[in-house]
Amino acid sequence: MEGIPLFLKYDVSIQGYERFWEGLKAGEVWTTKCKKCGTIYYPPQRDCPNCLSSDMEWIKLKENGKIMTFSIVKQKPQGFDQEDYVVGIVRNEDNVDLMCWLKGIPKVGKDVKLTTDGKRVIGVVV
Amino acid sequence: MNKRVAVIGIGSSKFGRRNDVGIRELTWEAVREALIDAGLTQKDIQLNVIGSTAYRGTEIYPAPPASEYSGLVGKSPIRVEAACATGSAAAFTAINAVASGMADIVLAIGFDKMTEVDTSASLAIGGRGGNYLWEFHMYGTTFPTYYALYATRHMAVYGTTEEDMALASVKAHKYASLNEKAHLRNKVTVEEVLKSRPISWPIKLLDSSPISDGSSAAIFASEDAVRKLHAEPVWVKGIGYGSDTSSIASRGEWTGLKAAKDAAAMAYSSSHVSPTDVEYATVHDCFTIAEIMAYEDLGFAEKGKGAKLLRDGQTEKDGKVAVNLFGGLKAKGHPLGATGLAMIYEVVKQLREEAGPVQHSFKNYIGLTHNVGGTGHYAYVTVLGR
Ligand SMILES: [Zn+2]
Repeated sequence: MEGIPLFLKYDVSIQGYERFWEGLKAGEVWTTKCKKCGTIYYPPQRDCPNCLSSDMEWIKLKENGKIMTFSIVKQKPQGFDQEDYVVGIVRNEDNVDLMCWLKGIPKVGKDVKLTTDGKRVIGVVV
Repeated sequence: MNKRVAVIGIGSSKFGRRNDVGIRELTWEAVREALIDAGLTQKDIQLNVIGSTAYRGTEIYPAPPASEYSGLVGKSPIRVEAACATGSAAAFTAINAVASGMADIVLAIGFDKMTEVDTSASLAIGGRGGNYLWEFHMYGTTFPTYYALYATRHMAVYGTTEEDMALASVKAHKYASLNEKAHLRNKVTVEEVLKSRPISWPIKLLDSSPISDGSSAAIFASEDAVRKLHAEPVWVKGIGYGSDTSSIASRGEWTGLKAAKDAAAMAYSSSHVSPTDVEYATVHDCFTIAEIMAYEDLGFAEKGKGAKLLRDGQTEKDGKVAVNLFGGLKAKGHPLGATGLAMIYEVVKQLREEAGPVQHSFKNYIGLTHNVGGTGHYAYVTVLGR
């Protein structure tokens, strides 16, 4: 028999991360760096577990990177009922590894330019 | 470990799409078998540790109903979770309860009923098996996607091919066809694997473990209890554990699982066993690439040479180190919470020489379980011996 469906609606806090989400809208990728010990966090963090400081600054990540790996998502999960997309990991010039969607023909080692589509980081194959 | 710990009873349900049972009846299948195997009753159990991820079932707090149905009320104060390594987390907790001297006889149960929800919901839950906001929310990652990121990198760096990965699937299905408790008992060919539907390229349907229902259980006992019960023990010789970042991008390397390497190093040093001593292993082959990486992470093969071990047939029955002769996660099935204890079930069956058509021939009776949670978020390696 059919069970009672469970609908879960989420209210997700992004307090302290506004710079990241605003950056996405402007085609930029921002993250945090600890002012005390210099550690760069991506995904950004408000707190530095390395030196226990919470004195962080926002930095804009450089846009050139290289594809480390990727996968073409054919069978989509709930919430992504759309065309196939390519999930990649890109290492940028700041030596930060970021997840992104890749546009163009992906290959490990190829250069990409990082941008956004307003909602996520996009790596455009050069 | 302070005190020696033995496995004195094991049980496992049939894995598969089990529409014929609820979570309670499913759990009982493993508990009943384990109690009979050990010659014990529920009265003898001093502590029951339950492992279940539970999110894909109607019972999202499944421990009390499962415990009640199995006659274990009053013995079950804890449910543990470590994604796909949940069963090993339950075993780990139970073993430590015995090793510390807190209890002499401890039951660990692992189960999940994953087929109550549909595949798209299941993919959305698995896709959260990392870091929701920074991965799934923005990028629609699925669980296969995470392992596919490892597969693509392994292919690019070490020349591993889709054909190599397909061999792991062929092996798994071949052995599952001999296991009446396995989920998928059909044999497959390399061509069939290569032609199967891509799920998250390069991972295809036949590179992937199925979505399964199942339960497994093991009873752990102290040396005193083994003596009093005149039990035929299999000893826990050592355990190792490891963990890694939630965000897969943050790991810096995608050709092996650091958590598994750390767990293996700890398990080998605590048991005084080296990789070449291991005669039988269950490895966490949730996807075919995972089996190849496991060979490397466990030291059975040099880094980048995992596929060669498979191609050379060294992980078949009576090979150098036999791997997953019950069909692996790939074909036996992978009900998350059950898997780690199903691995212990399998290795104990093998070490006792009760494995029937898939019995491996041992010289020194050393076996190992390798159970990974999430996409390398958690790992447990347990060395067992007679
Ligand atoms: Zn700092």
